[in-house]
Formats: sequence, C-alpha cells, structure tokens
Amino acid sequence: MKLFVPSPGHIDSLKELLTQKEKIYSIFMAGSPDYIGTGRSNLASPQLEDIKEQTEFAHKNGVKMELVLNSSCMGGRQLTPEGYRTNHWYVEKLVDIGIDSIVVADPYLVETISRDFDVDVVVSVLAFVDSPQKAEFFEDLGAKSIVIDSNVNRHFDVLHAIRDSVDCELKLLVNEGCLYRCPFRYAHFNFFSHAFGPEPRPNVLDDYYYLKCLELRIENPELIIKSPWIRPEDIKLYRDITDVYKIGGRTHFVDWILNCVNAYYNESYDGNLMDILDCPKDLKDLYNIPNKSLDGILEKQWTNCKKVCNKCGYCRTLTKKVTQVYSNGGTEHQMCLPWETGAVKT
Amino acid sequence: MGNRGGENMILEEILKNRAGFEEKIRKLIGRPVLLIELDMFALPCGCSGITANMRGLEFDDLEVFEQQILPLVKEMAENLGVKPTVTFARLVPGSSIVASLNWRTLCPRCYPEFARGAGKMPRPDLYILMFERRK
Repeated sequence: MKLFVPSPGHIDSLKELLTQKEKIYSIFMAGSPDYIGTGRSNLASPQLEDIKEQTEFAHKNGVKMELVLNSSCMGGRQLTPEGYRTNHWYVEKLVDIGIDSIVVADPYLVETISRDFDVDVVVSVLAFVDSPQKAEFFEDLGAKSIVIDSNVNRHFDVLHAIRDSVDCELKLLVNEGCLYRCPFRYAHFNFFSHAFGPEPRPNVLDDYYYLKCLELRIENPELIIKSPWIRPEDIKLYRDITDVYKIGGRTHFVDWILNCVNAYYNESYDGNLMDILDCPKDLKDLYNIPNKSLDGILEKQWTNCKKVCNKCGYCRTLTKKVTQVYSNGGTEHQMCLPWETGAVKT
Repeated sequence: MGNRGGENMILEEILKNRAGFEEKIRKLIGRPVLLIELDMFALPCGCSGITANMRGLEFDDLEVFEQQILPLVKEMAENLGVKPTVTFARLVPGSSIVASLNWRTLCPRCYPEFARGAGKMPRPDLYILMFERRK
C-alpha cells in the first residue's frame, strides 16, 4: 500500500508526521498561494526555501514529496503570457528543488508541465475524472497518475472501467466526506482557488458552501452515510483497482492526520467514523457513527448500489440504525442518543 | 462567577450554558443543531457581549419559533451576566443560514446603527430578536 499523507505545510508538522515514516509513501502539501494556488483551504504558504528544506528532509527519511497546485480556477491568468511565464518559472524552481510530483487540476497545466519538465504530473481529484474516457484523455496529455473523482468511489463498474482503460497510476481519495454528487462542488472549489490563490483574494466572512453543506447534514445525516468515503477496513475491496491511497486533511492537526494514517495503514479503525473524515470536521462533535457498525456494508450493499435512493431506502434505514447524536456536549452530562430521538425533519 | 476551589467558574458556566442552550433549541425545532462555539467578547469601540456560532439553524426557525426562542435568549444573557441592548441573528448574506446569534451591549457609537428605523432587519444580514431602545 502506498499512502499519500497531507502536511499542513511547515517543517514542524513534517517532522512530527515523519516520526511514522515507515507508514508513509509520500507527503503532499500546498505551495505558495502567490502562483497557482490550490482548490482547498490552506494553513501555510511555504516559500521556495521552505519547500526545499522540507523536500530534503522528506527525502532524507525515504519519503517522497508532492506539491499540490490544483487550483480549479485561475481566472484565465494561466493563459496570458505573464501567467505562463510566472507559472513556468515556479514549476521550474520546484523541479530544481527535487519535488517528486506535482498535482494539477487544469488540463493545460497537465499538458505543459508534462511536456516541459522532468516531474510526474498527477491529475487532481478536482479535475473530476469519473469515466474511462476522461482518464484516457488525461493520460494522453501526459499524466503519470490520476486521483479519481471521489464521487465514483463506490461505483465499482466505473472504477474497473477506468483501470482497464489506462496504464498510469490511479489514486483513491479515501476519507473525503463531501456530499455525494455535491451541488456546491465546482463553485466551492473555484471559491477556494481564488481565496487561496494569487491576489486579489476575496475577503469573505462566511463560506456559504461549507455552512450550507453542514446545514443539509444536520437536517439529514443520511447524507454523511452516502458520502463516498472508503473505510480503512474496506481498502481490501479496492486492491484490484489500485494500491495507492490519498488521505485528505491538510488543514488538520498532525495528531489527527497520524490517527488517519494509522487507521488506513492498519486497515482498521475502532472509533467514530467522523474522527477520520476530512470534511465536515465540525460535525464530529455532533454525530457519533461507530465505524465498526459499518463492517461488511460496502461488500453487501454498496458494491452493487444503483444509486436510486428514493426506490431503495437502504442508507436511510442504516442511518437510523447507526447514527448517534452527542447531547450535553462538553459537560459532565455528555451522552450519545440515537439520532431519531432528536430529529423531526429529515 | 470567578475562581472557586481552583476551578474557573466563568468557563464552567459557559460550557454549561453552551450545552443547555443547544439542547433547548434542538428540542424546540426538532433538529440536532450545533452550537459550535459560544464566545464572550469585547470590541475596541466599547461593545461587548456573547456570540453563539450556530450550525444547522435557519432563518425560518427564528421566524416560526421566535416567541419560544426569546425566553431562551434572555435566560442565556442572565446566566452569563450580560445585559444586552440588542440580541440578533447574523445570516450568511443572501441565504437562509443563521451563522450566529449575538447578544450585544452596544456602545454609544454603535447604538444608532441599530436604533435607526423600526424594522427587524437594520441590515439585510441581521435579524433583530430583541432591542432595548433608549428613552
């Protein structure tokens, strides 16, 4: 198993993460927001000298370093002569530093970086590769690896078709708890790309997409159960597709990240499923979904799921069975109650 | 409040009230909303008060259950020793999402911003639950 593990972006985080280096194949982190930016929120803005120091440290410990430059919207800047020169200069510096791979979402960057540099180009999950046709397209552009759109994590027919269509490496993002077929996905990642990309950055007080996502799941936790996460115990069912897995969570504390690393490395987690989902982290203080209560569900139900929820109802019933709500949180009276006891509207 | 027997009573009260307010709102609207963070604040202008950052609460809930929510809001202020001039909800602009509930003792400079006009929404993203108008 090759685990790609997030780093919040500073050397102290990396040193802590690599205390468990034997479980980590590669670290990934964002670069400076001043060039290409990323499609997710970011805690650090490592400059080239920081990236160099961290890359050398990772390599000294036998771990690879991947830079994530997966902005989903650059406002067309990448196509201007100035944007092209700036981005090219930045990638050149990263390659000189010895970065092992660069993750991008824009097909233009996949093609130009693959053509002009001696570095592995990884197609980001934000390129939404959810079909064999799209995977072939990116492979032809020069991709060495593709992170498959997590929306199809439980569509085994599509996963196998992608596997059969390309020779490049495939990666699965295992712990993203985003809404299945999330309606906010494109708008949210485009917003992040500007908020965590080059100036000018929007000064936004409230992230509508995040808050709306939470609201929907507080109204209906079935949406958490339907999210396309892959439990550590279920990794074994994906082995004929890939052995490369990416753990999301570069805005978390190292302790949280290492908890996920251990769960996936050991292919087992005895705790609240919400503990290991990257998003939505706020809801871990609301819901307790014992991970072990989901043993066997993927194999029994979701591998053959037709995704016609109104005719099925399996996830609805499962949600009622396994979901608990924390009550009186943070006090001596804290307890877990079945979700149904506090819910009227679903 | 204060320090009693080595324990910080202010923090203890805040913890207890966070959980209590969350429970009461959940029972009222029939949904396990989350009071993600309860803060007491002081601003450079002189305003002070409490902020309850909410997740899962909607503008409709306030409109429908306003009469039932008002006593809970008053109780929270009393419990934490705050005498708010205004209690209001802040909405995510242009949406029905309630980002936070706020109890604010207004300074003389900020008072007119809330006092001007008689409507419930002095700004499109603010919905007033209670307002103590000066005589």
